[in-house]
Amino acid sequence: MSKLNVKKSQKIACVLLVIAAVICGCVGMYGMSSRSSEKGSRILSNMRLQAILDTAGTGAIDAYVAAAKTEATAKVREEGGGMTEIREATAKAEEEARTLAEKEGIGSVDLTEIDTLPLEDSLDVLAAAQKAYFDEEAAAQARYIEEHADEVVVESTEELATEAADASAEGGDMAAEGGDDMGSDMEMAEETVDLSGFEATEEMLALQEEVDKAYDGLCVEIKKVFPALTDDIMTALKSTITSTVAQSGDTFETQYDRALSLSGMNPGLTGTIMRQGKTLATTAVGLIILALAVLLYAPLVKKLGIPRLVIGLFYIVLCLMAFVYNLSLPGQISNTLVRLGMNGVLVLAMLPGIQCGISLNLGLPIGIIGGILGGLLCIEFGFSGWFGFLFAIVVGLAISAVTGCLYGMLLNRLKGSEMSVTTYVGFSIVSLMCIAWLVLPFKSKIMKWPLGNGLRTTIGLQTSYRHLLNDFLSFKIFGITIPTGLLLFFALCCLIVWLFMRSRTGIAMSAAGANPRFAAATGINVDKMRIVGTMISTMLGAVGIIVYAQSFGFIQLYQAPRQMGFLAASAILLGGATTSRARISHVVIGTFLFQGVLTLGMPVANAVVPQSTISEVFRIIISQGIILYALTKSGGDSRG
Amino acid sequence: MDKNKLRELARNNIVTIMFIILCVVCMTFSGYSGSYVLYELFGRLSRNMFIVLSLIIPIVAGMGINFAITTGAQAAQISCLLVLEWGISGIAGFALAALMTIPLSTLFGWLIGKLYNKMKGQEMIGGLVIGYFANGLYQLLFLFIFDNIIPIKNPNLTIKGSTGIANTMDLSREGGIAQALDKLWRLPFHQAVLVFAAVIAVILVVGYMKSHKKNGKKLGIQIAALAVVAVIAQLGPVKALFSMVNIPMVTFGLVALLCLFNVVIMRTKLGQQFRAVGQNGTVANASGINVNHVRIIAIIFSTVLAGWGQLIFVQNMGAFQTYGAHGQVGLYAGAAILVGGASVVRATNAQALIGCVLFHLMFILAPAAGKNLFGDAAIGEYFRVFLCYGVIAVALVMHAWSENVRKKKEK
Repeated sequence: MSKLNVKKSQKIACVLLVIAAVICGCVGMYGMSSRSSEKGSRILSNMRLQAILDTAGTGAIDAYVAAAKTEATAKVREEGGGMTEIREATAKAEEEARTLAEKEGIGSVDLTEIDTLPLEDSLDVLAAAQKAYFDEEAAAQARYIEEHADEVVVESTEELATEAADASAEGGDMAAEGGDDMGSDMEMAEETVDLSGFEATEEMLALQEEVDKAYDGLCVEIKKVFPALTDDIMTALKSTITSTVAQSGDTFETQYDRALSLSGMNPGLTGTIMRQGKTLATTAVGLIILALAVLLYAPLVKKLGIPRLVIGLFYIVLCLMAFVYNLSLPGQISNTLVRLGMNGVLVLAMLPGIQCGISLNLGLPIGIIGGILGGLLCIEFGFSGWFGFLFAIVVGLAISAVTGCLYGMLLNRLKGSEMSVTTYVGFSIVSLMCIAWLVLPFKSKIMKWPLGNGLRTTIGLQTSYRHLLNDFLSFKIFGITIPTGLLLFFALCCLIVWLFMRSRTGIAMSAAGANPRFAAATGINVDKMRIVGTMISTMLGAVGIIVYAQSFGFIQLYQAPRQMGFLAASAILLGGATTSRARISHVVIGTFLFQGVLTLGMPVANAVVPQSTISEVFRIIISQGIILYALTKSGGDSRG
Repeated sequence: MDKNKLRELARNNIVTIMFIILCVVCMTFSGYSGSYVLYELFGRLSRNMFIVLSLIIPIVAGMGINFAITTGAQAAQISCLLVLEWGISGIAGFALAALMTIPLSTLFGWLIGKLYNKMKGQEMIGGLVIGYFANGLYQLLFLFIFDNIIPIKNPNLTIKGSTGIANTMDLSREGGIAQALDKLWRLPFHQAVLVFAAVIAVILVVGYMKSHKKNGKKLGIQIAALAVVAVIAQLGPVKALFSMVNIPMVTFGLVALLCLFNVVIMRTKLGQQFRAVGQNGTVANASGINVNHVRIIAIIFSTVLAGWGQLIFVQNMGAFQTYGAHGQVGLYAGAAILVGGASVVRATNAQALIGCVLFHLMFILAPAAGKNLFGDAAIGEYFRVFLCYGVIAVALVMHAWSENVRKKKEK
């Protein structure tokens, strides 16, 4: 990069972007600063006031109408009328009262005509009281969740195995049967603690009283505006008004939006700028980054490659959007770290495969099955804690060493078309194991369906080694939970593979993968090296799934392992590996980027389009797109 | 000599023979009656044969099994959605959907062909990944673009209370195209055999008149065989066996037409080019064929045909899973053609048809057999999924194996 070679069009685009960024930034900063200024706060409080008065006004009309109705009923009754007459009379009275109320303006009020100061004061008191209450509530709930972390309820689909069976039992056609192919793999089950047992603490009750007091103060002021209001109606309106003033987890933006939609006022330019201030400021940052990317396009592409550049920028966009939507960033970072650790070893398993020349080991499920068997045996024998974990790993390694060796021997006969063969061999072994899960003679009650045959689709690890690594030496810093044990274990695996790649065998293996003919000429046994690489890859797959399961909290059986090879492959490719060359750094970067995009993508997507599966869709597009890209880059004819 | 030939034949068709044995075993244990099995089988054949036949051209052109035909199925489903939205019912709706499938599938096929050309030798894994990738785009289209950006007015098509297209697409409502093709002309089996025998006889005679060799003996044998089949179908016991079978004539007619098309196109210049490219790309290139171009054309043919196949499938079923119906199309069709004895470099109409029959027999029988043998229907279920993948895996392994042996011999 001695001299930047920048085209003129790039320069122009860059300058334009910077100008746009500066404008956005300035306006945004102005908006942000006006939030705390006199004028800005006036806009918001006015809108809030209007909203509340509107609510109260409706209440006032109702009160007025109700009074008119009672009057009419009483009158009819005095005259000795029946039910039908009463009904007619009340309907008539209601209509009349409503038109009258509208005419005389009982329910509406103009802010400029009344003295808003006392109202505003009492409103501020209420808002402050509510904020204190919500803070206390959140803190209390957090404490509760921490105390009850063991009773985790996981929302994950348990119906995979039965789904397929049902589809055909009802005479459905085969198209329905494989429907769970893409959707169900590796969905992150969100851990939620059941809050139904949660009870208000004393502090909360005290604060609640204060809220009530503040509300009463507000009521007095509102009654001055609408004399027609009764106490009953004010009590009925309480929940509406308090939720207008403040809600749990409120931010400036949500408050503003709520007040705006309820009051129906025209916020004016200043108001809009104020509302969008944060968004604009964030956009400015984004634009500057984009400008830099445009300016440094050529060297960046050269260094990172297009996919990594695109996904990297996408990740930055997601971070900025998370900031705009006020998602808790520390929580997301902790999630990303956990996912980095839990998927890292599986991704690492790709590396020896790529290096030894079998290309992407899409037959990774073969290793995964070994790991799962290890985990199941651990539960069956009732082992737990570190011993159970190590037992699972040792058994998994032993099984996968054997299968890996056989698998490597098979691959040696199929040089050149490994990828398609391994995929389908992996798939068929996964479906063969589906039968095995149904018939294997496991006894443990944790694993078997309470009724019927076979093992459950997801098997909880509470009794054995759930979160063993996650919780080992984990600590909190700036609100971010660091899963020390998990990351250390991942680092250890990386170190072992790194050392191995630098050993005599490792170098010979890489040589065999890079240029088989040359390697053979220098006396390396290429076939043996390929078997070694495949074996290590398979064994790492076994360890990977055990780490994954301990972090996930569950062992997933049946169709779950099928797509894992693809996910691991896309992660390492995203890190910058090709189908024939890979390094440890590719594993770490790729896993971090891939999992980072996934963890951030889900909440951001849900904030943009509520209750959607769009993040799932993007996961499919990104992970398969990256593999496709790597395949097109792997060049015309396969190596062989 | 004869013994050797027999052994050779057995070795080449090991998958088919294994499947026949499996089918016989499953048949004995399933406890189904013959006429029920035949009824199920013909139902499945009518909706699945077309798609399986769409795989032949890419195999001949040397690109292996085109697992990316899922995109063709997606094109069909997009057209189907639009036809339902417009409320064009019956055969007119079906014809319009088929028409709209052509440009869509052509576009998809062209893109896939471009991608395949960048990964020569890895087409099959590439096709699988393209299928997955396209599934992501398809979901994006159906969940977020339709009904949000492109408004869908028919309330039966969208998810209630949210946006996006509903999970199940029901074609049998008013304005749907369910059974549009099938119900045009249905005949009981024995009459259908007569009709088909007559048509084939006419074609044979016309072929005889036009051909230069005038091989009268061959014609005579063929026509006699047809007559025998037609007579057997009229016999009492046979008639009883097929009593539940009701043949949708137009659908099977289209399948027959496609078979004819596959034969005819191989005799044209384009077909010769397919074959040349399939046998050896370098040689074809040297003889002046634009290899990449020919490969793209092959994929476009396959994708369009698969799209039509999916339409036939969908109209026969009368409803489909919006997000799942296309997913396994490539897998099942690929497995079916391999079961019939095709390999990844060689496939004929007959293999596709035989494969289709065996494969679907297995699909009908396996769950019941699994239930009767092991007391659990799920075992049969998983077993047939395993067979799908297993058949493809075995075919790929055998192919790669023999290729490697051939390479070594050449050295």
